[in-house]
Amino acid sequence: MPKRLFSVGLLTLGFTLALGSAQAQSGILKLPLINDPIMNPVIAPDLGSVLINKVIFPGLVRPNEDLLPEPDLAKSWTITNGGLVYTFNLRSDVKWHDGKPFTAADVVFTFKAATDPKSGSRLVSDFSSIKDIVAVNPTTVRFTLSRPFAPFLTLLGHNAGILPKHLLDGKPLNDATAFNRSTPIGTGPFKVTRVVPGASITLEANKDYYGNKPKLAGMVFKVVPDINAQVAQLRSGELDWVNVEPNSLTSLQNDPNITLKQANAVQHFLVFFNQKNPLFAPAKVRESMQYAVNRKAIIDGVLKGYADYPTGTLPTALKKYYDKTIKPIQYDPARAKALLAQAGWKPDAKGQLVNAKGEPFKFTLIVDRGNPSREQAALAVQQDLKKIGMDVTLQPLEFATLVRDYLIPGKYDANLIWWTTPPDPDQYAYYATGQDNNNAFFSNPRADELLKRGRETANVALRQQIYNSFQRLEMTDPPVLVLYYPKELQALRKNLGGVPDLGIRDALRHSEDFQLR
Amino acid sequence: MTLSYLIRRVFHALIVLVMVGIITFFVVRLAPGGPSLLADPKLSAVERQAIEERLGLNDPLPIQFTKWAGQTARGNLGNSFLYGAPTTDIIMTRLPNTLILAGTSLLLTLVVALPLGLASGLRPGSAFDRITSTVSLVFVAVPVFWFGLLLIILFAVTWRLLPAGGMNTAGQEGNLGDLLRHLILPAVVLSAASIAEILRYTRSSTRTVSTQDYVRTARAKGVGQWALRYRHVLRNAAIPILTAVGLQLPRLIGGAAITETIFGWPGMGRLSVEAALGRDYPLIMGITLFVALAVVTFNLLIDLMYPWLDPRVRAEA
Repeated sequence: MPKRLFSVGLLTLGFTLALGSAQAQSGILKLPLINDPIMNPVIAPDLGSVLINKVIFPGLVRPNEDLLPEPDLAKSWTITNGGLVYTFNLRSDVKWHDGKPFTAADVVFTFKAATDPKSGSRLVSDFSSIKDIVAVNPTTVRFTLSRPFAPFLTLLGHNAGILPKHLLDGKPLNDATAFNRSTPIGTGPFKVTRVVPGASITLEANKDYYGNKPKLAGMVFKVVPDINAQVAQLRSGELDWVNVEPNSLTSLQNDPNITLKQANAVQHFLVFFNQKNPLFAPAKVRESMQYAVNRKAIIDGVLKGYADYPTGTLPTALKKYYDKTIKPIQYDPARAKALLAQAGWKPDAKGQLVNAKGEPFKFTLIVDRGNPSREQAALAVQQDLKKIGMDVTLQPLEFATLVRDYLIPGKYDANLIWWTTPPDPDQYAYYATGQDNNNAFFSNPRADELLKRGRETANVALRQQIYNSFQRLEMTDPPVLVLYYPKELQALRKNLGGVPDLGIRDALRHSEDFQLR
Repeated sequence: MTLSYLIRRVFHALIVLVMVGIITFFVVRLAPGGPSLLADPKLSAVERQAIEERLGLNDPLPIQFTKWAGQTARGNLGNSFLYGAPTTDIIMTRLPNTLILAGTSLLLTLVVALPLGLASGLRPGSAFDRITSTVSLVFVAVPVFWFGLLLIILFAVTWRLLPAGGMNTAGQEGNLGDLLRHLILPAVVLSAASIAEILRYTRSSTRTVSTQDYVRTARAKGVGQWALRYRHVLRNAAIPILTAVGLQLPRLIGGAAITETIFGWPGMGRLSVEAALGRDYPLIMGITLFVALAVVTFNLLIDLMYPWLDPRVRAEA
């Protein structure tokens, strides 16, 4: 009798499990996030939030496959008054996910919030050039800038999704918890239907979407915090697209159901040398580092070749502005030593670099803990610099600690980190004297002038010349040691199609074209 | 057991909670780094200042503590930095998920570890004892993340028998079968180390008790095997086992961080990792106080169970 009961129990369990597994999810694209997102583009603090917001909240423009702005919520625009006035004609066929019509008032509301630091906006710096914005009529919006600002259009298509005025007006954005966490209303090709905290966000195709009709029935953003678990779920078919690090490649390369793609990322990975420290103040010392570090070895060894060899701080992804004719500086430790000798650093009897007073060339290189690629790259940098006689200590730190306690107050010698920038060559905030993001404290009057002119010049040919000059200047007075321009490694299920050749954040702005075959 | 004993214990529990609150507050605030909302090097000084002001991080530490203690005493744990919602609400959303996983793991632990430990302890040195001892040693030593990933690769990737993670397939929330399928792997991983530990405690305790004179006497008097094991051995061996089980409970509630992270299980363990990594001070404090409350409550309950199991404790209490 007990045996029979046990068998019945097992059968029931098996039946229940089988029922649980019989779920049809055709046409639903599944993507990972590492934590619950904030579904509000103005205050979104992390990449995961940015990704889902791309699908829910379109902007006035979006980047095309050449990363140039193309119409989105705006049909067209004109730029007048010497680049100071941008007038946008908006689409009249756009509805919010709750059925209300989208108008110019929503755009005005969004940018008033985006430029107000008290709103919790993360876009204040991006749009600090806006002096005034008015709704001329329900389908026309006019921005007046305080200064000509060439990256303006690109930034409109970067993170500036438009918010619904009728739902958020008068409320502090950070306190709109229900909207931000469970009931966001956008105008995008997919709308949120269900949020399970800590687990998933389910979206369904928006039948009223103004662009191409979405080809997918829906999307699910699953919260999968661990990257190894993400890869396992991709292989088991529970996820369709995972961005991976080169060290995950071995488990994916032989999987017949997975396609690996690489996309250009507008990123440069670099080592900051704190130029308030007299060690790094001379340009010759920083120039020597470019010869001393075997960057090709890092690209081939650590990144398995998935990165471009660098020439300055402008990544190759900015095809229009990157000057391919500039010859990149190659690994040449003898040349590095010669440059250091010119700067007053010569090896002693033990091969250690010392100055005229006999003081050693000694510093600490910090790197964030936990990312194998960056930790290995930092180790390679340390070893290469040791080879030319520098005394380098490697110190891994937790990222928040690195930024808050070391980088921002400038209490560091050298720091391996990265910048992800909008698809525009403007780097004024990063490398012009005294700017907030100039964490290396780089200062070069010629660079300041070029960077200022670059952001104020709308003419593309002229901008090309300006940024090519900046790129050349960086060869002899490098603001930082650029290690590589990484590729974004995308691992996708083979049946996923319609994905443009863009990094995931820009590709998701074209999610209506995705399809599962 | 008197009422005054109970009141004394509850009072002690309250003191523990207050101490945990004070120590955690200062340890967390004085730790290096800061809220991850501020860890973006691209933030301008103006943006950073606005965020710090909004989160109340500009006040001196004693003022921050006074504010926190005042609102906590009124039952308000504050708003999470990361979620922008009341900490209590977030904990209450995750708690049922943790209870499902922890409850299943505890059940699995007891069902597997107690009989195996008892059988092992009654036959020390036998082949069965040697095998269970070796296997339990392996499970105590094996890293949780490695074991979890191994099971995912075998059962989800290679054999496709079970899902690799999550608590439900999206859209299948409320489907019991779907939940059970998602529960199996994390429950096995979470209970593996507990099974090994409780098994070893049970074995050791059983072995100690079974060599006592009164057991030999009972056996000599012809007490049956089942009665001997249940009435004389297991009952007397139960107190150290119960203590060990009690120690597992807070680990299951608050410390299942790695298991929940690997399996994407939306519970308290993962929430505590998110809170710690994001330096979400209100959430860290909320979770810590909640887990501390669970620990003192479980300890109290277990203490209350001792007299029921052992008349000698009853006489002392």
